[in-house]
Amino acid sequence: MSEIKLKLKNKINLPLEAESITPDNFAGKTIEDIKNLPVYLGKEQGTIGDYFIVSGKSGEKNELKIIIEGDASNVKRIGEKMTGGEIIINSDVGMHVGNHMRGGKITVNGNADDWAGAMLKGGELEITGDAGNYVGAAYRGYWQGMTNGIIKVKGKVGVESMLWAKGSAPSKKFPTLICGSAGSFLGIHNHGATIIVEGDVDRCAGADQVRGIIVIKGKVPKILPSFKKIGEVKEIELFNGDKITGKFIEYSGDHSVTKNHSVVDKKTGEISKSANGRLYIAA
Amino acid sequence: MVIKKIKTVYDVICPFCGTLCDDLEVDIENNKVIEVRNGCQIGVKKFFSSNPSEHRYEKPLIRKDGELKEATWDEAIDKAAEILTKAKRPLLYGFSSTECEAQSKGVELAELLGGILDNTASVCHGPTLLAKQDVGAPSSTLGEFKNRADLVVFWGCNPVHAHPRHLGRYSEFVRGYFRVDGRNDRYIVVIDPRNTHTAQIADLYVKVNPNEDYELLNAIRAVVRGVELDATEVSGVPMEQIKELADKLKNCKYGVIFFGMGLTQSLAHHRNIDAAICLTRELNDHTKFLIIPMRGHYNVAGANQVFAWNTGYAYSIDFSRGYPRYNPGEFSAVEVLLKDQVDASLIVASDPASNFPAASVRQMFKHPLIVIDPHESPTTVFADIVLPAAIAGIEAEGTAYRMDNVPLRLRKVKEAPGESLTDKKILEKLIEKIKEKIGE
Repeated sequence: MSEIKLKLKNKINLPLEAESITPDNFAGKTIEDIKNLPVYLGKEQGTIGDYFIVSGKSGEKNELKIIIEGDASNVKRIGEKMTGGEIIINSDVGMHVGNHMRGGKITVNGNADDWAGAMLKGGELEITGDAGNYVGAAYRGYWQGMTNGIIKVKGKVGVESMLWAKGSAPSKKFPTLICGSAGSFLGIHNHGATIIVEGDVDRCAGADQVRGIIVIKGKVPKILPSFKKIGEVKEIELFNGDKITGKFIEYSGDHSVTKNHSVVDKKTGEISKSANGRLYIAA
Repeated sequence: MVIKKIKTVYDVICPFCGTLCDDLEVDIENNKVIEVRNGCQIGVKKFFSSNPSEHRYEKPLIRKDGELKEATWDEAIDKAAEILTKAKRPLLYGFSSTECEAQSKGVELAELLGGILDNTASVCHGPTLLAKQDVGAPSSTLGEFKNRADLVVFWGCNPVHAHPRHLGRYSEFVRGYFRVDGRNDRYIVVIDPRNTHTAQIADLYVKVNPNEDYELLNAIRAVVRGVELDATEVSGVPMEQIKELADKLKNCKYGVIFFGMGLTQSLAHHRNIDAAICLTRELNDHTKFLIIPMRGHYNVAGANQVFAWNTGYAYSIDFSRGYPRYNPGEFSAVEVLLKDQVDASLIVASDPASNFPAASVRQMFKHPLIVIDPHESPTTVFADIVLPAAIAGIEAEGTAYRMDNVPLRLRKVKEAPGESLTDKKILEKLIEKIKEKIGE
């Protein structure tokens, strides 16, 4: 496995847009070539070499590991649209880390700003600290957010995470968020995502959820009035077949949405489990 | 005998709030406003504020040794152009209280500078625009509501004080084509945490807990769909009242929701509007229902229009890459100031120092600040350069968009005092100078 190390020279005051930092862009290039890749500070175009000390050796995309050192809290869009390889960021990171990512893995050993993993289409994003708002969300005006892949956040995610996420069991697309705790409007307009929260969640979880599973192992201040209690369960089966055991109260919803699939199954007379919106909260 | 030379201008558009009343009569004597008829209290005040006073700027000012000193236009424009061209990430903010022609120049300047362009919608009805992008919006012009609506909902707004003539012209007391008996032909619902003066003259007042509008909207949507809810009370509103309200909404002939900042700027922001629009959409299965925001500044709707037809986006636009990009929260004025991501600001026809969070105002004052404004304000007091402007709609002609996006032609009733120029002229001068400096 080949490795490239990027070390920030100085602290950056204005946001630096560095969507060129991906294994796709670095693959097969010499250190000189990588230094000449463009980055943007305000309206000025610069190069990676202007802001980073670059060392190591490049190689095949999927075999390439990029390690970023120094305070990257103002560096935006690292790993945008990457399709393979690995990025490790040993610091806090700016907005849009791993947005539109299709494959590979990004690890942030610190906190991430807003829009981490926005519209993720595959691959894995791991954040060891907290993440900002709109984790795995759809960008403004899009009706389809995260469609596949997994985001793991140890700490808290901000508001409106997984906005408009869209999964599909038949085509084996399971957009998943696993996080420590979450802000308000978690999984809003959910269309089939799986969200597992180890801790507490703020108000309005699962608002406008059409399909999907939200599992909350901690507490919520209150549940939206349009969710209906079904009963207690001991085991939850996720879309991808995995199972979670524990004592949970099952709710169906959101029942305020026009297109709601929490319909009564004509054969069994029970609320359909095949396509539905579900919220599970630890009993 | 003394002959007074009073000039009366009829059918003047009032450049104050988004209602944009178009029937004012203004008397002018010696280039001073001496009387305004038909206007409301707040609108009339604005006309009188155009008269010379110690608050009115008449000459360009430049800060020298810590004090604002009078300067010539050439000096001031040159200095301002220098600040803006040197900045790596300048912010251009305001634009909602000026005419569309000046706003268009603002877009040109922002593109030239590669800066961030934002208007006051970002601290006002920006959430409305976000929600519209997510779920669309069924809406109409105010004339339709006046002639047809028999159910009017005011949610989180208080037009008695904020849009005083709205009720008399479009929504409550006015006689319409199908509403010949005016107020008696309309059922008025007010939903608000406070028992406002608008609520006191309503037929039904629903008192909702502060910041819990989303839950209430959510419950109404479910009830309208015929879902039996487990809850006995939502956001402080008993279930019976929610059912009564849902019933009223479903059984009207033509309903409209007017909403204000009580929805857009309480905790759930654009999600409140998202839910309100979804409710409106739902209600169209039963009757005719529309929704419209109560815009504040008289031309904030115009700012959104002009920015959108020039760049594709209504507010929070970043030109740093040469092409427009849009992301409220990333490129909106408050956020970039809070995170200290701009290094110079140009404020046009706005007073962010009074309205923004203190922390972001502090950051704005840290960097060079240029203000185009007719009056002294908390923003101009800390500015490095003040460029005196004529008041659009009183001392300058132009176009403005009413809250329902109907364009109206603003009129000029008097001359601007001193050396004041129109916003458009000032921005043109700046553009010319900046082009000279960057050699374009």
